[in-house]
Amino acid sequence: MTAQTLHPRVQVVWVLRAVLLSALVTAPFVGGAYFEYLPRWAPVAVGGVVLTLTVAHALLRYRRWSYEIREDAIYLDRGVVTQVRTTVPLVRIQHVDSRRGPVERTVGLASCVVYTAGSRGADVRIPGLTPDGASDLREELKRLAIRADGEDAV
Amino acid sequence: MKLAPQSVPYRALQKAAGTAVALFVIVNSGGFGLPLAVGGGAAILLVTFAYEVAYYRRFEYVLTEDTLDISSGVISRREREIPYRRIQNVDVSRGVIQRAIGVAAVDLETAGGSSTEGSIRFVTPDEATRLQREVQRRKSGRASRDDDAEASGTDADAVDPGGDDAFGPDEEVLFAISPGELAMVGALSFDGRLIGLLAFLSSGSFPVLSSFLPETSAAALTATAIVGVAALFIASWLIGAGVAFSNYYGFRLSRAGDELRYERGLFRRYSGSIPTEKIQALRITDNPAKRALGYASLSIETAGYAPGQGSESGNQSAVPIAATDRVYRLAHEVESFGTPEFNRPPKRIRWRYVIRYTLIVGVLTGIAYGVNWYVSPSIPWYGAAALLLAVPPAAHLKWKHRGYWVGEDHLLTRNGFWSRTVAVVPYYRIQNVIDSRTVFQRRWGVATIVADTAGTGSLTGSDAAAADFEVGEAEALKQTLTERLATAGAARRSDGADSFEWLDGDDGGEDGVDETDGSVESRTEEGKPAEDEEPPGGEKPAGDERGGVDEGGVGSEDAGDEPDDDVVADAEADDVASEASSEEDLDIPEDGVVRPDFSPSDRDYSEPAERIDTGEYAVDQNPSDADVAHGPGSGEEREADGDAADGDRDIADGDRDGEGETPDDR
Repeated sequence: MTAQTLHPRVQVVWVLRAVLLSALVTAPFVGGAYFEYLPRWAPVAVGGVVLTLTVAHALLRYRRWSYEIREDAIYLDRGVVTQVRTTVPLVRIQHVDSRRGPVERTVGLASCVVYTAGSRGADVRIPGLTPDGASDLREELKRLAIRADGEDAV
Repeated sequence: MKLAPQSVPYRALQKAAGTAVALFVIVNSGGFGLPLAVGGGAAILLVTFAYEVAYYRRFEYVLTEDTLDISSGVISRREREIPYRRIQNVDVSRGVIQRAIGVAAVDLETAGGSSTEGSIRFVTPDEATRLQREVQRRKSGRASRDDDAEASGTDADAVDPGGDDAFGPDEEVLFAISPGELAMVGALSFDGRLIGLLAFLSSGSFPVLSSFLPETSAAALTATAIVGVAALFIASWLIGAGVAFSNYYGFRLSRAGDELRYERGLFRRYSGSIPTEKIQALRITDNPAKRALGYASLSIETAGYAPGQGSESGNQSAVPIAATDRVYRLAHEVESFGTPEFNRPPKRIRWRYVIRYTLIVGVLTGIAYGVNWYVSPSIPWYGAAALLLAVPPAAHLKWKHRGYWVGEDHLLTRNGFWSRTVAVVPYYRIQNVIDSRTVFQRRWGVATIVADTAGTGSLTGSDAAAADFEVGEAEALKQTLTERLATAGAARRSDGADSFEWLDGDDGGEDGVDETDGSVESRTEEGKPAEDEEPPGGEKPAGDERGGVDEGGVGSEDAGDEPDDDVVADAEADDVASEASSEEDLDIPEDGVVRPDFSPSDRDYSEPAERIDTGEYAVDQNPSDADVAHGPGSGEEREADGDAADGDRDIADGDRDGEGETPDDR
């Protein structure tokens, strides 16, 4: 299996999240400007900068994200500022979830979460899957994990 | 079995004490008078006592063959079964009062969950020891079960505390703390909590305090501050020494069979056992003071301690201090890694640390300047810049102390400029491998590889990490770790008992028709390797034979195979029992386990699939609740598939069709 990218619609989810984050960050500045502690342009500037950065981050994040399921392990490559490549050996999979958050549901997407017993990379989330794709991936991983037949991980 | 009866009043008092004090304060301040307060306290005591009696009556634990069953709960009841194999450690602790009244608390940790899984409060100390030993024996000593049965039968009534090892394996003391080392632990311990507390208190009250301060010169103020800080440090040090002394008094680590046991504590006695097979990682730490004196500490990590329980409890089995060579000898006892030769990061990376430290010094200088400007007495704020002199050696030390070593069975990493940590991680304990590169690391062309384990140390941020290595080297290390993990896992598996159960090859033939689903499945599993290898010469006759079997149930699946069915037959016909005869010719890989080849599919999971691609895996291929291939009419179905089949790809398709269409047939 070659490296897979996420479903393009996941950008909608991430951009929405970016907008929400920018709104939260900008809110105090709007308040400050309203009560005339800050000049009028401050919230506009802050909001603009934060929005640009977060949206750019969301878009770049989509472009960076890729995953690959190989015979022995799941490989994930992601991260904009800090690039992270994770290798999850199939023998180490404890259980697999497919989940759909409210935002994901509205855009018709789902994600798949792979759990290991590790402490730092204990859960690995693959976002941006179609609902069927997510449950298929879950089944596929289950199958591969059973087949990998590891001894006790911990 | 029941709890110790004396645990009832102890638990009741323990619970009621806090509530009674609170109530007393409320009542006193409310002016209700003493009788009411006493009455209220008595009522609370009575209620808790009644509750504890009920708790005692409900609480029961049983050591069964494979599990420890605990049923408990007064209002909401809970039955819990903990498989012995899943128990990570068993800890026994006895506080001063608990020792006086003769009870002990037993905690059984497993890797799951967020709290202690099996908490038995309280049993008699002898019973606690018996539990500890019994759990270990039932986990490992299957062979001597008969003896155990007798032993436990006699133990149940009367346990001789001195003789608890009489029926267990011999204990071999690995480490016992000497008075000198104990003194050293005390001397090198420092309890930061007092400073933290004072900082917290003074941060709120500083404006208040400063109004009380007499108007004095800056010099006098500074002198007072220095004396105060010094006193604070000495007090912290004394507290730290006292805590460490009482914690590690009489520390002893020993090995008994396949588990490690530890014991320590002056006032509160701790003892516990750690199965060696559950050890996740070893960590050898030191700091400049210890390094200078030639000492180090060792901690043994398991997955048992939950995140919220703090580092202290996670390190119950840590050797607080010992001469460095002794620590390494001890570590080798526990995990035999070779003599490490650490690879260091590229030298140029020192410049990165120089830049980092320079920035930190710059920020400190800035803060000093700010303080100076804000407070206004002219303290020499630029003094902070003198720290710049320390930057090059610090950067060098940081680089020098970084490293990793790929041993035969273990990965060793070393980190830390001030306090140095060497982490020893067996390959088969690695959970996943993380390669991360920050923006700055990318500029330097380096990467950090983290080998994540289920141990507690990773939670406190001291992962086994090979930091700042050349990208190429890092990639190679990641690859190596992933491979070693797989091979180490396979090696352990072939050692262990839980391997595949092979069916004998000669029960094949026509009998296969009557096989149940279960055996067909395992046969399929077994037969899979045929895909990789060229079919042996005996294949064709087997194919003919198959024709005969086809009249029966199982074989009918393949009735429709085209003459060029070598490929298709290999994948599909494995269900047929007659195939078994040809399987004896298979090559066995080095690891002794014939593994089917399940090449992952090329599916893009971001797009929906029409049907689930079950690949070639037996469990999904023949679900026990749907006799996919056995249904009538599956032959015709195959016919259609066979026509379309002209390549490897079609195997999976045929499979998929079989899965997908069967429901229609029924």
